[in-house]
Amino acid sequence: MSRAGRKRRSIGSRIGLVALYGGLAAAAVFLLLPFFWMISSSLKPDNQVFTVPVRWFPEVFKWSNYVDIWTKSGMADWLKNTMILSVVVTALQVFTGSFAAYGFSRIRFPGRDVLFLGYIATIAVPWQAYMIPQYKMMAAAGLVDTLWSIILLQAFGAFGVFLMKQFYETIPEELSESGRLDGLSEYGIYRRIMLPLSVPAIASLSLLMFVTTWNDFLGPRLYLRTPAHFTIQVGLKVFQADPQGSSMYGLMFTGSVLSVVPIALIFMAGQRYFIEGIATTGMKG
Amino acid sequence: MTTQPIASAQLSAQPGAVPTGRGQGRRRRSSLRWHNTLRGWSFIAPNFIGFAVLTLVPIVVLFYVALTKWGALGDPEWIGLDNFVKLFTRDPRFNTALWNTLYYTALHMPLTLAASLGLAVLLNQRIRGAAFFRTTAFFPYITSIVAIAMVWNLLFSPDYGPINQILRFFGVDNPPGWTVSSTWAMPAVIVVGTWREMGYYMLLFLAGLQTVPRELYEAARVDGAGAWSRFWHVTVPCLRPTTFFVTVMLTIGSMKVFDLVFVMTEGGPGRSTLVISQLIWQQAFVEGDFGYASAIAVVLFAICLILTIFQFWVNRRVER
Amino acid sequence: MKKTTLSLLTALAAASALALTACGGGDETPSGSPSPGNTGGSSEAPAAEPVTITMSGWSLETTPEFQVLADAFHAANPDVTVEIKEYDANDYGTLMLADMSAGAAPDIITIKEAKALGQWVDGGQLLDVTDVVSGLASNVSGAGSYTIDGVNYAAPYRQDSWVLYYNIDLFAQAGIDPPDGTWTWDDYAATAKELTSKLGGPKGAYEHSWQSTLQGFAQAQTPGADLAGGQDYSYLKPYYERVLDLQDSGAQEAYGNISTNKLTYQGQFGKQEAAMMAMGSWYVATLLAQQASGEADSFAWGIAPIPQYDSSTTGTDKVPVTFGDPTGLAINAGIDESKLEAAKAFLAFAASDAAGVALAEIGIVSSVASDAVTAAYFGQAGIPADDLSKFAMSTHDTRPENPQSPNISAIQTALGEAHSAIMSESSGIDEAIAQATETIQAEIG
Repeated sequence: MSRAGRKRRSIGSRIGLVALYGGLAAAAVFLLLPFFWMISSSLKPDNQVFTVPVRWFPEVFKWSNYVDIWTKSGMADWLKNTMILSVVVTALQVFTGSFAAYGFSRIRFPGRDVLFLGYIATIAVPWQAYMIPQYKMMAAAGLVDTLWSIILLQAFGAFGVFLMKQFYETIPEELSESGRLDGLSEYGIYRRIMLPLSVPAIASLSLLMFVTTWNDFLGPRLYLRTPAHFTIQVGLKVFQADPQGSSMYGLMFTGSVLSVVPIALIFMAGQRYFIEGIATTGMKG
Repeated sequence: MTTQPIASAQLSAQPGAVPTGRGQGRRRRSSLRWHNTLRGWSFIAPNFIGFAVLTLVPIVVLFYVALTKWGALGDPEWIGLDNFVKLFTRDPRFNTALWNTLYYTALHMPLTLAASLGLAVLLNQRIRGAAFFRTTAFFPYITSIVAIAMVWNLLFSPDYGPINQILRFFGVDNPPGWTVSSTWAMPAVIVVGTWREMGYYMLLFLAGLQTVPRELYEAARVDGAGAWSRFWHVTVPCLRPTTFFVTVMLTIGSMKVFDLVFVMTEGGPGRSTLVISQLIWQQAFVEGDFGYASAIAVVLFAICLILTIFQFWVNRRVER
Repeated sequence: MKKTTLSLLTALAAASALALTACGGGDETPSGSPSPGNTGGSSEAPAAEPVTITMSGWSLETTPEFQVLADAFHAANPDVTVEIKEYDANDYGTLMLADMSAGAAPDIITIKEAKALGQWVDGGQLLDVTDVVSGLASNVSGAGSYTIDGVNYAAPYRQDSWVLYYNIDLFAQAGIDPPDGTWTWDDYAATAKELTSKLGGPKGAYEHSWQSTLQGFAQAQTPGADLAGGQDYSYLKPYYERVLDLQDSGAQEAYGNISTNKLTYQGQFGKQEAAMMAMGSWYVATLLAQQASGEADSFAWGIAPIPQYDSSTTGTDKVPVTFGDPTGLAINAGIDESKLEAAKAFLAFAASDAAGVALAEIGIVSSVASDAVTAAYFGQAGIPADDLSKFAMSTHDTRPENPQSPNISAIQTALGEAHSAIMSESSGIDEAIAQATETIQAEIG
């Protein structure tokens, strides 16, 4: 666009810009409201978390929650376990998922499409319905109460396969073809051409898998039994007693706030990988 | 103007479809096919083995359990199709749950699709603070679901909630009771579900947007296309593979919705927000009837399969 | 044959899972394998050798009762050690079911909810312990909740029941006479309204959102009420009419606010938001602890018998009718023969006077009713010591909330739906009860 054109539109666009930022700021408040309530609750005594009407600010700030959570619970262990699980599961899912996706999208063989459909359809079966048979298998293999059970549970889903396959379909076949002419094998094409081009997809898959594993509750709840093996989400339930006891809601929300921080940081840091169009530069050729 | 750059690329040869010369005959083709099968499976195997052992086997067991009476303990007792007969003929709760689930899906799916696509397009632009807003949009997905239910229930509060105050301001005399009204509880849950998940799907659309070649936008601009026209003729077609993925995942996810509904309304009031997944949970773990719970899961699976096949079919047609 | 298919698949999958785990793994003892102490030797003498039995518990940090029982038993029987396996309090039933299905449940299974017992008995998981239960003293209550077709499957060690908590300070402030043990529910409702108008801030009463806070009383107190029968639930209606009236007049917090704001009864009564509250006897220990820690306000409070259906059971010369489910101990059907004696001895011990006193000292209401137990219970620091509180805690006819019946879970689920529909006023009482009855009959039929 020419410089003159840019100038002519500047007043109109400035008003537009103000409106845009006003709208975005309002939306941001709207999106962050529950998180704000979570922070506020993390500073309250247990009996004042759930009230009518809702209190947005604590009457007395109970800063000690942020100290107590480290001393009164296995928070450090839980963070470590959750981190290990999230990293391993994400790595496995990204690797096996992107590898399998190549097979599904670029190699034609009999039964491929039916198999793929089957893969996706299994996502539709709620886990609660088959968790008992699965648990029996894991128990027979001696995996209950180990981190291995969660890794196995999470790492081989159809989600990553499907996501990567859809992304590969946007990469022109000509690129693979030229790779083939250069004497690359299918594995070489996958590694040298497809992987580098699918950085945005891998970045978003990684982030989503990381978050899913990080926040997963039902699986770890069923499999991890020793407090030292808990993940954060399971560990936080320690603070929530059964109806007859007294729950430590303040600490529970302290833990919830702390568990969001790593994800938010990773999201901030990882953004450029799915925003900066690395793929587009590659595709110009 | 090129509106379908990817589809045309796709139509060009894939390895399995390499045209073979006339004289090379059948043997060549079948050995190529054998080769491709082997190669294809070698790519798929690492994921498939884990998937088959850990997910497929229990799901096959589930299909068998659906034909039995089983309380998770002891041996299943074969009862044929009894569970399915009960399901369709004398379980008023199943009908309600199925209807509620379809209702949720029918609204939540398109709403979330539109909201997440809109957010992605908006936040993909080079505006100052976009990184912050993108993170913000993702926050509902990572905020504790209890906190979400708490704050939204406050916003929806019939008497003093801000939503109803605004409605009253605009002259609505008798605003809805939202989560404590059997008519309005489901719409309230749908709104919150959309609010919560749009950031998640936005991320997928953002990744998809990076695959749209910049030249296409420039070409469209040169042709004098406005913003809307560029969106409609460049962005939408180029995003088709991503949109398809999001549509399928959203549909299945909506059909399986559970935790959000449970935390917000526990299926109530009455059974006005009871969904299929909650029914499965109740039947299995509250009432101890795993055979029946499995039968419900099989029906849910069948419905999702039909919807997915339909989406595949539509996708194929659009592709052509 | 079908069984073979299932186990074949499972075995196949397990084998492959084993292969996958070869690269590392946990220190998990494979399920069902006997513990090291008992593998060697064929010694048959049960009492001579040290035995370790395992027992399930939950939230061990805040629920010390399991450890107290284990320690007290070990002190009396040094040869036997009871080891507690911790479960999550809110998912106890689910996790226990999973462990049972995998053959990994502990030797002694704590029965947290009487509702789950039937399923476990059907699955052949629990041992017949009629011999233990019939040997218990006559002052032990609650065993009936664990009896199916005349067979006892668990021994109760704890028996909570519902009482009325009231805030003496708020009553004094309003200038209203506190409960005296003669109340029917109508008296309660009238007082709640009066309190609300005089206090002008705190409400007269708080009724938590659970279905049991209403249906439990209606079912225990109404003559002829038959929960398991599945025919007629109209006995709920007068109770709902009374409560809806209280709710509409503002004398108790609206159900909609309680459920959507996830109010806790500990917060409502402990922070003096309400002057009266019907709640289980377990809350005594919680309230004492929270007042001591400052989590709850400090105020004077007392315990009264729960209001009655009519005047035929009111007054301290009669026995008030209330409800509550016991907590009990059952024995895993797969228990090692060598541990059986010790496990049975433990069950009997947990329902003995000695255990009752040990539990009472930490604020647990034992299933044993004796002077020693009552004395120990009222020896807790800060507990109200007036006669009415003592009467309320020690004298009551406690009916089971969940009588054993094959359909009890389905019935309770349907009535739970009716509860939320009525209390949120999204449907009428008659309409909701009719719908629940229809659902229950479809389930039973």
